[in-house]
Amino acid sequence: MNTALAGGGVDARGFMQRHGVKVFVAAVVLLFVYFAATTPNYLTLFNVKTIIRDAALVGIMGIGLTFVTLSGNFFLLSMKETAALCIIAFALGMANDYGFVISLAGALAIAVFTGAIQGALIGIGGNPIVVTLGAAGILYGVASWWSDNLVISYPRPHDAEWLGTGSVLGVPNITIAFIVIAVIAELALRKTVFGRQVYLIGANRSTGKATGHENLSMAIKVCIVASVCCAFVAVAFSAQLSSAQANYFSSEFGSSGDFTILVIATVMVGGNSIMGGYGSTLRTSLGAIFISSVDNLMVLKGFASGARVLSVGLMIVFSIIAFAYLRRGRRSEG
Amino acid sequence: MVKIKRYVTADPELAFAVLLAALVYSLFAFTNPLFFTWNTGFAIMERFAVLGLVGLALTLCIIAGEIDLSIGSNAALTAVIVVRFTDSIGAVNSILLGVSVATAIGLTQGFLIACLRVRAIVLTVGTLMLLRGVALFAADEKTVMLTDFGVPDFIQSRVGVIFSPASLLVITLFVLVGLFMRYTRYGREIYAIGGARKEAVAAGVNLRRPMMIVFAVSGFCAGVGGAIIGLRSGTAQPLGLQYLLLAATVAAFIGGVSILGGKGGVIGAAVGTLTVNILNTGLVFKVTPAYEVQIYLGILLLTVIVFQILSMLYETRKQRALLLADSNRAQARVAPAGRSDPNHTSRGN
Repeated sequence: MNTALAGGGVDARGFMQRHGVKVFVAAVVLLFVYFAATTPNYLTLFNVKTIIRDAALVGIMGIGLTFVTLSGNFFLLSMKETAALCIIAFALGMANDYGFVISLAGALAIAVFTGAIQGALIGIGGNPIVVTLGAAGILYGVASWWSDNLVISYPRPHDAEWLGTGSVLGVPNITIAFIVIAVIAELALRKTVFGRQVYLIGANRSTGKATGHENLSMAIKVCIVASVCCAFVAVAFSAQLSSAQANYFSSEFGSSGDFTILVIATVMVGGNSIMGGYGSTLRTSLGAIFISSVDNLMVLKGFASGARVLSVGLMIVFSIIAFAYLRRGRRSEG
Repeated sequence: MVKIKRYVTADPELAFAVLLAALVYSLFAFTNPLFFTWNTGFAIMERFAVLGLVGLALTLCIIAGEIDLSIGSNAALTAVIVVRFTDSIGAVNSILLGVSVATAIGLTQGFLIACLRVRAIVLTVGTLMLLRGVALFAADEKTVMLTDFGVPDFIQSRVGVIFSPASLLVITLFVLVGLFMRYTRYGREIYAIGGARKEAVAAGVNLRRPMMIVFAVSGFCAGVGGAIIGLRSGTAQPLGLQYLLLAATVAAFIGGVSILGGKGGVIGAAVGTLTVNILNTGLVFKVTPAYEVQIYLGILLLTVIVFQILSMLYETRKQRALLLADSNRAQARVAPAGRSDPNHTSRGN
């Protein structure tokens, strides 16, 4: 990578443009394997299961966001806020004894509603970043206001236990859900008309428009998909903790850094084109697992949260640089 | 009166922003007698000192057709650096250190964006996270604090009726940046790459230079803003200042920038920030929790966006109609010759 950046000879430059990304990925993988092999307790079955379980929540949201990114609408900055509103709705439902199904339906309905509105605003020509930045403020504010900024908890043996803490044959149910959602999303993108339209509009919006596929309906659909994924994650997270608060997905809580940015990181580190049209949800899932493995490794090595946040940031920036070089090798950019 | 009318028609966005600011101010001033005082003016200006610079930085970025998402992280990092080193190397040196770090970060971002030809949102979403990590490092993962509160007292001391050293500094910077944007070639280049990037590049603007200038100025403003926030409160949190991005975006859009770039200006940024600050101060008067303020800001932003989209749709429709009428007329004139009209091919966009 360094030789490519420094210019180097003509041949070296050409080689780096063609194979630079492969070399870079190989170097990262080698480095990772070295550290993984030399860290005790890392390559155990238990730890691998932990890694995938940790990757599940952010991965599912990442899969939802992949639809938005692939369709050429960049990303939504309101992921964690949508989840915050959904987690409050779900927990309020559970706390008021409405049962799992109605609470889940409530959370999903809110997700569909907010997703559709954001999608419509994006579709008619609003910038996705600015629209979802504003929406994020509203969603988080409403979530805090609805819950009075308090923790809502419901008693432990509840209907959603199976989703939160249950497991089948030692595999946590949330991991199974992650795999199932990943497979469904991949099939939907590859085999359905909707999936092909996502790629078409993402790759070339004017062609999409000329062939009768407006971005308006597409933006609404993909935003609903992303929001529904957020709602699902919120429900699973709430079921796990048997409680909810509006700031559960904000940076103060648990995972390193900002949850929305972490979700965006899974999409970008997985190697999806952020301009749309190129990538897959499989890449996002792998990106989520990779980020989670590195994070886990750093925890075992005793790094503090600063280093972990920094590493995710570095991964994003390097994936951008790698992608820019890959793209320059392939086609010229206008 | 005629003069006012000319101002309004010359810049309707700015006129709207001024009107909105006056409306919000008078709304609070009439409902609360305490609001219409010099003390409140001072409080508003104090908020302006913080948000103004970040709003200005974001305005510049949006004028250039890009958005800097890492602005809050950059400000937080500077706040941490400044607060952490004030005790050991003195306030002036630590401010110089923090602000130059922030400027260097901005410069690097601009360089990368121009070199890699990526959109700024893509890169800055990465640096948003990266800089948080650096800030956590710089702060040793805790909230850093000053031990000597002489500097905070000086910064918040009252000079003049509603000004403090901090707000005077910010106003000076506003004037400087405004002159730069209006009267230098570099400033005009920034407008050019925002409004019509392809045309600007074709006309010989080197994309790298304005991009680096914009992001360096943006980093500088975020840095000075962060330094003021840190030194005024005497504390800095590495994960703090996340609210800045939304508030600054609202300020920039009220100030009349367009998401397509090339529009807006420094006066607009000032008025937009003032509007947000008046709203914020007024809501604090009514003891409104912070999350409720976020709702109002979000609604304000979406409203402005919807208006912008609608006016954009209206403009394109009007232009299309004009073009269509033109081409119809041209066709009617050349119809006997049976020539195809060039307008037909160039109409689609």
